[in-house]
Amino acid sequence: MPTDATGPHGVNRRQFLARTAAGLGAAAAVGAARPRRAAAASYPDWIPRSDKPGKRGGSMARPSAWDPPMLDPRMTQSVGLYQTAGLTSNRLVRYAFADEASGPSDMTLKGDLAESWQSSPDHRVWTFKLRPGVKWQNVAPLNGREFVAADVKYCFEQYAKEGVQSFNFQEIEGFETPDKHTVRIHLKTPNVFLAQNLAEPIAILFAKEVLEEDGDLKKRLIGTGPYILKEHTRKVRMVLQRNPDYFDKDRPLVDEYTILSTPDAATRLATFRTGQADILWVASPSEVETLRKTNPNVLVQSYHNTLAPFGVALAQDRPPFNDVRVRRAISMAIDRQKMVDTVFEGHGIPGWGVPYIYYTDKQPTLAQLGPWFQFKPAEAKKLLADAGHPNGFSTTLFYYEYFPQMTSEVQLVQQDLKRNLNIDVKITKLDYTTYYGRYVDNKWDGMSWGFQSGHAIGVDERTYQYLYSKSPKNFFRVNDPVLDELTLKLRQTPDVAQQRALTKKIVDREFDQALRLWMPYDNGFMVFQPHVRNAAAAALRRSDGYGSPTLARTWLDK
Amino acid sequence: MYKYVLRRVLLAVPVLLLSSVIVFGLMRVMPGDALVALMGESGNIGERELAKLRKDLRLDLPYHEQYALWVWQMVTLRPGDSLFTGEPITTSLKKAIPVTLELAALAMILGIVIAVPIGVLSATRQDTPSDYVGRVVAVSGLSLPDFWLGTLVITFAAIWFHWIPPIGYVSLWDAPWRNLQQFLLPAAVLGYRLAAATMRMTRSTVLEVLREDYVRTAWAKGLEGRIVVYKHALKNALIPVVTIIGGQLGVLLAGTVVVETIFALPGMGRLTVEAILFRDYPVVQTNVMLVAGTLVTLNLLVDLSYAWLDPRIRYR
Repeated sequence: MPTDATGPHGVNRRQFLARTAAGLGAAAAVGAARPRRAAAASYPDWIPRSDKPGKRGGSMARPSAWDPPMLDPRMTQSVGLYQTAGLTSNRLVRYAFADEASGPSDMTLKGDLAESWQSSPDHRVWTFKLRPGVKWQNVAPLNGREFVAADVKYCFEQYAKEGVQSFNFQEIEGFETPDKHTVRIHLKTPNVFLAQNLAEPIAILFAKEVLEEDGDLKKRLIGTGPYILKEHTRKVRMVLQRNPDYFDKDRPLVDEYTILSTPDAATRLATFRTGQADILWVASPSEVETLRKTNPNVLVQSYHNTLAPFGVALAQDRPPFNDVRVRRAISMAIDRQKMVDTVFEGHGIPGWGVPYIYYTDKQPTLAQLGPWFQFKPAEAKKLLADAGHPNGFSTTLFYYEYFPQMTSEVQLVQQDLKRNLNIDVKITKLDYTTYYGRYVDNKWDGMSWGFQSGHAIGVDERTYQYLYSKSPKNFFRVNDPVLDELTLKLRQTPDVAQQRALTKKIVDREFDQALRLWMPYDNGFMVFQPHVRNAAAAALRRSDGYGSPTLARTWLDK
Repeated sequence: MYKYVLRRVLLAVPVLLLSSVIVFGLMRVMPGDALVALMGESGNIGERELAKLRKDLRLDLPYHEQYALWVWQMVTLRPGDSLFTGEPITTSLKKAIPVTLELAALAMILGIVIAVPIGVLSATRQDTPSDYVGRVVAVSGLSLPDFWLGTLVITFAAIWFHWIPPIGYVSLWDAPWRNLQQFLLPAAVLGYRLAAATMRMTRSTVLEVLREDYVRTAWAKGLEGRIVVYKHALKNALIPVVTIIGGQLGVLLAGTVVVETIFALPGMGRLTVEAILFRDYPVVQTNVMLVAGTLVTLNLLVDLSYAWLDPRIRYR
């Protein structure tokens, strides 16, 4: 008997079973996603500062997946380092802490080691007035000596000389230190965002004496920050002890902060459940719900990402991806909403690269991302046919699984492209080093699961650094004269309203040309023990990662 | 016997040399290097700078020179520094080896202490409910992967008892009780697999020996069951069991990778995996050679133990 015999309605047994299963599965997925989405929506996206006066004392711990390979800020931008370095060291300028900010998107700049700053009318000379009486931590060889302007000059010169931050600091032409509390920075080209760039979590000031004594900064991290690094045992813990000489008198309030190296997610959850940890990051609504069954009193902050770090990168400097129609067709053939609903349980963003807070007040919806981000398979197919590929083509995609859901996303893209455009995508999953080496080499063909790094906050970093054709961070191989002009112009535009308008133009251009096909990304949750105060995570700076400096204001209400 | 030992030691040399060539070659075949991993996602480092750093770390030398240099370092017991962290490898090993040794030893003790009595019990009460329970436990131990069991143990310990081992390793000498708390669960997880295999082997070999003439004679002499089983039968049944335990050592060491990760223990497993992921050539190479050397030595010890278990065995 033929097994593919069709029934009375033209549906064979296999098709019937497949459709029934698919229908049941979809119903179950929708049914399951709804309560989770509702649950996610019930958590606030901001935990305002406590009204009570802060209480001194106690110790706090957090399980961390990240273990810094070394302590040298010239050599790595790893979040593993900055979860600690943000507390041992300061920058000239910083963003508002959790107890100062009006909400997660408050990007107000505050003085850190600088009391005030000012740029020349042409934005080529910046003057920073340093806070007087700041001392390096009372640890040899610094032994609490005063922090002065020459320290800034030395540190920034070293950053420019070698390492991962050299590109950013090489735009500095020279320094003047007219007195010990004034630094004047001369730029090669105007940049209205210098203060923002120096507020990036990675722009910390390190000590000259350590670099000169050790030849590198791999083993010792001595700064001017609220905490002294008391112990760093790789793969075990980092212990930060209150700096009694910190310039912000009476702070920090918590005496000791321990970061426990816990590579396994289940273990991190268990440490929080059992009270061994006070702060935890969880990715999905269902995890929060599970956690709340055992720990009903925890404080939950529903985090909202202002950008997606990952997207499909195309080798757009060569066929077939140098044709904008092909890029647009691919973008339209991918069902992003389905990914948000299924992979991220409804608690995710559809994906964009430039943080929306720099050009609009409200988080954009998928519909607002423009026509090429909408899921329209029929139009996509027509567009691809117009581009000369009516029967699709074969290509490759390589990626590294940064988090487990990424594999599901990659497979959904593969499925969508096959089903809607007949594009065969051969997926290769790589380990991190292989992936990264191949990706930044920029010679690959086909597609990659591209990224932008997480450490940067400023709009300059997210526009000029990633979209300017000659930038070393132009991983998506963008080569668009319009964007080159716009990103350069943005760096020379001091007026905030004009900056926002220009940023919007940049984003619109990026979307219109389908230059970076951003993919959905989870929002996640910050979870705190009920006694933790003033530790909320702000936009682009989670308090468990690059936003660690905010923990200088945290206190324990117990 | 000395001749035998000497011959085995000499035979170990080509084994170790071959291992060194394989691990050296494999690491070089893998794409990317430590610098690429180290620079992370910065994208801010130029080719010229990378070339300089590679030169500083001697990664620009031809492969044969790198190999010769490394072999010399191993022979002189100076394996160099980690490319990734800059820490001397000997320092990393001094921290990691005691952790893995303690974990493996505890797992081994737990495994044997559980496996042998249950195996004997299963054999002496063949096809009774206690035998069935023992067999189910053994088969489960063989079937459940370490990562699953470890995750389950830590999750349910947290949910049911609101307790998990204290995270953040402390050494046995600094805080023995805390250390024991940290190692008991991971050792139990790791030991379970070892126990399962050992239990099954003990059961079958004891069953076989119990049917031997000399055991029947012992029964006929009116000896106590305990004496017959443990003194006459078990000792003679132990050779295959010891072989199995020896063979399981490799599995045990491999299992430490997962268990150390789940229970956040800074042992050899985590050190090696991290080094592989970050292409920390000298660390991977040294660790692999250390494990290879350990396995060769342990196999030799297992072989030598046969003579103690069965005096009829002679080494030539």
